[in-house]
Amino acid sequence: MRLSVNGSPRDVDPTRAPTLLAALRDELGLIGPKLSCDHGECGACTVRLDGELVYACLTLTAACEGAHVQTVEGLSPAGTLHPLQQAFITHDAAQCGFCTPGQLLAAQALLERNPHPTDDEIRVAMSGNLCRCGTYPKIIAAIRAVADASGGAAGAPA
Amino acid sequence: MSAPKDSGKRFVQTTVEVEGRTETRVVELPAFEPAPWGADAPLAIVGTSPPRVDAREKVTGRARYTADVVRPGMLYAVIVRSPIAKGTVTSLDLEIARGMPGVRGVMGPGDAPAATRLFRRDISYAGQSIAAVCAERLLDAERAARSIAESLIIAPAPHAVTAEEALANDAPRVRDTGNATEPDVVTRGDVAHGLTMADVTLTREYRTPVALHSALEPHGAVCEWNGDQLTVWESTQGIFRVRSDVAKALGVAQSQVRVIKDYMGGGFGAKNSAGAHTYTAALFARALGAPVRCINDRRGEQTDTGNRPATIQKVTIAATRDGRLTALALDAIIPLGIAGWEGGPAQIFHELYSCPNVRTSETMVYINAGGMQAFRGPGYVEGAFALEGAMNAMARALQMDPVIFRQKNLATLDERTGRAFSGNRLGECYTEGMKRFGWPSTVHRSPSGVARVKRGLGVAAQTWPTGGGPPSYANVRINSDGSVDVLAGTQDLGTGSRTILAQIAAEALGARLDSVRTVIGDTERLPYTGNSWGSMTTPSVGPAVRMAAEEAKSHLLDAAAQMLDVPVERLGARDSQVLLDGVPARSFSDLCRALGSVQIVGHGSRGPNPELAVVTVGAQFAEVEVDVETGVVKVRRIVAVHDAGRIINPALAESQLHGGIIQGIGYALFEERHIDPATGMTLNANLHDYKVPTMADIPAIDASFLPGADPAANHVGARGIAEPPIIPTAPAIAAAVADALGVEVCALPLTPWRVLGALAE
Repeated sequence: MRLSVNGSPRDVDPTRAPTLLAALRDELGLIGPKLSCDHGECGACTVRLDGELVYACLTLTAACEGAHVQTVEGLSPAGTLHPLQQAFITHDAAQCGFCTPGQLLAAQALLERNPHPTDDEIRVAMSGNLCRCGTYPKIIAAIRAVADASGGAAGAPA
Repeated sequence: MSAPKDSGKRFVQTTVEVEGRTETRVVELPAFEPAPWGADAPLAIVGTSPPRVDAREKVTGRARYTADVVRPGMLYAVIVRSPIAKGTVTSLDLEIARGMPGVRGVMGPGDAPAATRLFRRDISYAGQSIAAVCAERLLDAERAARSIAESLIIAPAPHAVTAEEALANDAPRVRDTGNATEPDVVTRGDVAHGLTMADVTLTREYRTPVALHSALEPHGAVCEWNGDQLTVWESTQGIFRVRSDVAKALGVAQSQVRVIKDYMGGGFGAKNSAGAHTYTAALFARALGAPVRCINDRRGEQTDTGNRPATIQKVTIAATRDGRLTALALDAIIPLGIAGWEGGPAQIFHELYSCPNVRTSETMVYINAGGMQAFRGPGYVEGAFALEGAMNAMARALQMDPVIFRQKNLATLDERTGRAFSGNRLGECYTEGMKRFGWPSTVHRSPSGVARVKRGLGVAAQTWPTGGGPPSYANVRINSDGSVDVLAGTQDLGTGSRTILAQIAAEALGARLDSVRTVIGDTERLPYTGNSWGSMTTPSVGPAVRMAAEEAKSHLLDAAAQMLDVPVERLGARDSQVLLDGVPARSFSDLCRALGSVQIVGHGSRGPNPELAVVTVGAQFAEVEVDVETGVVKVRRIVAVHDAGRIINPALAESQLHGGIIQGIGYALFEERHIDPATGMTLNANLHDYKVPTMADIPAIDASFLPGADPAANHVGARGIAEPPIIPTAPAIAAAVADALGVEVCALPLTPWRVLGALAE
């Protein structure tokens, strides 16, 4: 079964890897998405499926035929950083870093949907991704910085 | 050549406080101790906030955690756990599992060395290991494990899962030695006399819940044998502790075991030793001759890796009308679980305030539930909820501002030990916190005209022993291109120790930070340091790294003096340049290239502790809104000011404060393990029903440290910071709720039904 992962066609076997998370980690060797709760509760496995945020631990591989999957490894070309990645570094928005791949993808999806979110909109949009280290204030600051840098203030008329 | 007659080493005794427990240790005196960096030391790298040295790895997803370790031919192990709290395994079928696709090995009762405590027939808590399966793929192992679980028959026996059940007259026997320890009573002065001196005496009963660490990365290990050498990749706070645990349990020498920890996804106290997953992986790997990965699933993680135990604390507090404490008394019952070291809530009662008469009693009770493990500020978090709750209740009874009441009772020495403090600026933390918070202030109790929403303000304080101590060793190596390796067998849990140790080394060596790499987490290649617990890593390993860097610098400058033909006294180092009379003369790289393969290595060790109490202190202020119809508490803001001596990296230190405060918010409002009384099973052993805070739950947080340094604590001037910030958060929030409602809620977490229940009374 073929799907596109970070822009490249990849073949996976849904019988060997029933969940998208198993396919990405165990079949394709991508370690960005993490297995933590295995029940769609924590967001550590977050990836983008045709642009939508999904919990890869709850997504069936068999349902992903022909789909475009993006993981943190596909956030920026090798050797470069996405503005969110740079902002996470600058604002110390990763402590242990285990939830960070999922946080970055959730933030990317948020800013595509809403380029200038308020802090409250950030809090709600990001609340499906747990961080037990409590990095939340710095994740908000990092997202805020990227949103502000992209021009226009939150709520300003278009 | 002959061996030296005298090694020249000297050994002394020193005391070290680990998680609130005082240990006496024999330690080696370092060859020299650098002069302390005082508050006005001209430091260029220490005290600044460069990004984490490993941040890029983390944001690109390249950071490799234990569960990301892949070895050729690796197999996967899954543990079968008891669903009930007490009984005897009378039947289980391992043969079906053995015949299932992909299965390579099965272990059950009797198949593991007794020292591992794996796979026993007698069950004493739900979550205990009974069997394990090893297979070519995780899916195969999970399927086979389910078949064993389905075949399992346990003859149940009566259990006790609460302190009340375990202490009842007809209680089932939880441990053969009895269900409770003798009360541990610690007294100073005479509480009865203190009560007679008081104008106001209050008593309260406080209850705190069982909290689960819930690190997003579960405990896990990958084990691989090469002949009789075992390599263990483990997510751990203590690589050397895991090495000694594994060597002991498997009956091999420590030199046969290598433990590697690269990145880890949080620990919070639960990852301080080898566990069932480690032994399972090591035993299967040996039996099957293949590498084995064993990572806990979430249920296993939430039931068999430790917890912060519940407490029941009866507190008596007595004070004069003018606000002087005359007596504090605590009677605490702590249901530890099936096991655990005895870190109870009493100690903070002896340390936070000046009080002539203090008596505490702790009774540890064993129950049929997973054993406790240290959890960020163990004992002090639970104790602070009761002590600070009582302090706030007393301030209300005295009609005195709770900050003024606290300032009247500031400890000026550690009254528990009689030791002077190396530094303790709690008084300034209050002052600075009041300024930042706007305290005292008139709160609009019903903002925006909605009468059902009440606002309140609260305050609480903390102390925590953060001196660290020996033994900790480090080496600093300057390579032939001038790049620098810091070698220390410590751990970075996400705290930032990789970064701050690089900063300390760069500062002491006069090297550019970007030329310094910190190598940690490998027992085979790195010198010993202790576990990363008790907020000990910075004050323990930091001085060892500084000493190693100072020694390496002195070797480098000796070499430079020879090569430049100048007296060494005229040389210095900065920005990876050797300075002659303060002016750059040769770069480290030029100098090292000229030296070729001459190895420049400095050795450092942590010296003995001063005869002083070394503590991190702080005060936190909270503002809350409580909806009196729904009982929902919303924290609006937290202001935190702590004194931890020198801050090596302010940005990373602020992250530690955020982390402690946010876990404190979870402890205050949401987090509570629920056990089914009928089966003893944990009902919320997942991350949906066990509520850790989300981003939507987080208020505005203003968290800071007082500037300064503590050169009396150690020569780097830094104390620990990781645990202190969680300690006062819940009591500050509870005080704000009491302020809003005019009613105290004396049990955590402050869930809507507890709030409504308190209002109804």
